[in-house]
Amino acid sequence: MIPEAPGMAADLSIFGLFWQAHWVVKLVMVGLLACSVWVWAIAIDKFLLLQRTRSAMNRFEQAFWSGQSLEELYRSLASRPNHSMAALFVAAMREWKRSFEGSSRSFAGLQMRIDKVMDVTIAREVERLERRLLVLATVGSASPFVGLFGTVWGIMNSFQSIAASKNTSLAVVAPGIAEALFATAIGLVAAIPATIFYNKFSSEVNKQAARLEGFADEFSAILSRQIDERA
Amino acid sequence: MRKALTISAIGHATVLLWGMIAFVVKPLEATTMESLPVDVISDAEFSQITAGVKTAKKVETPKPMVEKLGEQKPVEELTKLDKKPEIKTAAAEPMPPPPEPRKPDPKPEKAKAEPEKKAEPEKKQEPDKAKPAEAPPPDPIAEAMKKAEEQKKKDEQKKAEEQKKKLAEEKRKAEEQKRKEEALKNQPAFDPSKIAALLDKQAPRRQEVTGDTLNQTASLGLPTGRAATLSQSEIDALRAQIQACWNPPAGAVEAKELIVQVRLRLRQDGSLQADPMLLNRGSHPFFQVAAESALRAIRRCQPYRLPVAKYDVWKDVEVTFDPRDMFRG
Repeated sequence: MIPEAPGMAADLSIFGLFWQAHWVVKLVMVGLLACSVWVWAIAIDKFLLLQRTRSAMNRFEQAFWSGQSLEELYRSLASRPNHSMAALFVAAMREWKRSFEGSSRSFAGLQMRIDKVMDVTIAREVERLERRLLVLATVGSASPFVGLFGTVWGIMNSFQSIAASKNTSLAVVAPGIAEALFATAIGLVAAIPATIFYNKFSSEVNKQAARLEGFADEFSAILSRQIDERA
Repeated sequence: MRKALTISAIGHATVLLWGMIAFVVKPLEATTMESLPVDVISDAEFSQITAGVKTAKKVETPKPMVEKLGEQKPVEELTKLDKKPEIKTAAAEPMPPPPEPRKPDPKPEKAKAEPEKKAEPEKKQEPDKAKPAEAPPPDPIAEAMKKAEEQKKKDEQKKAEEQKKKLAEEKRKAEEQKRKEEALKNQPAFDPSKIAALLDKQAPRRQEVTGDTLNQTASLGLPTGRAATLSQSEIDALRAQIQACWNPPAGAVEAKELIVQVRLRLRQDGSLQADPMLLNRGSHPFFQVAAESALRAIRRCQPYRLPVAKYDVWKDVEVTFDPRDMFRG
């Protein structure tokens, strides 16, 4: 902080506060601003992704339970890379087909293999949905502390300016404290949305993962019946 | 992801821009505030402040003079002296004694003049003496004598004229010398301290006196600023008067349970204005007895003799009766 003459009207606009700050506080502010930008980017990305996934699941379930032949469905979906439920279905069907198309028909471990393949697919899909959510959690918990660090640093500076000017009037302390509190404000601005988004998206991801597992169980049951019929 | 990042960055930039514009429109200015001196006073000090009355008459008290630190030094006069040529030379030369060499001069002149003055009467007497000396001889050579006398007279006249001239001259000289001496006397005597004052080039305000008068009287209040309180001796007096009539309950166990506090309301003549009020209650079986004895003592001993000037203080007093040390005021 630049020690100012008492009585000088301090520039308390956002930009003024930033420019008067000590470089450590500036660093904290810039870092927190970057965090905020990144958090919102992740939030927007996740929001779009989850919405897309949900609608895709709805569409797939509609198609699946519409009485359409599974072979047909598989053919229409296998060509293009799909996500979530469709990927689960394609992976299971591929395994199924491989077992039937091969020279030796091996029904013995087919059920187990299909389950394994579906588990792996579910894990991959959930990982894709969950990616970067931890960033939100980290920012949500750490940025208030980073902001506080900036605040403490700024208040230290303002006390030093008291010592330098030997004047305890508010005008000497006010700029330093204002800039210091600005750091905490930015930290909270970054942390509050991050925490809210983390809670919202993690619950959403859990819901979708449960839906995937439910579908996997159902599909596994259908395939198991088929295996028993064919064996 | 890139799309989301772009959206987020644009959103943040927008919010920042809005904030800057919003804060520029209403700049938060930190104005300097004058600090107020605050004194912390205790309850006792506060109660002892006697409040002045706004409507009170203004009492003109003689204002005590300030202790003078020094004469109001006429600095301007000193500077005026500075303009005088004599002082200038004095200031220019460290120790110039121009009057001193002149001073011896007038005395010898006077001394010269005195012998001359003394000589004058002698000369005057001489012709007088000569007249009687020359008169006795008879008239044989009267004409010659007359001529001689005439000549003498002429000489005398001449001499007288000369003497008059001399006297006039001497008078003039004496006057001149007097004038010179007076001028010397009027000349301020050589004073090193004044030279120092001349050399002192500090601002003249240093020499000013702090103020004319000092008024110690607080405006419309008591000069001492102290409320009247009963002194220890007056409390003792009240105590002694009540004690004379009190028969404390003797021989009671746990005497500290028998402490009785009573509130007295007194008239200006020292008699009771109302019945004394009991302020505390006790669980001791003898408490009622002790309280009754205390109240009785108070009623019996009125009127009390207390200073009327402090009636405001003792018109409503609390007295503590303690059987252990009789009681306290």
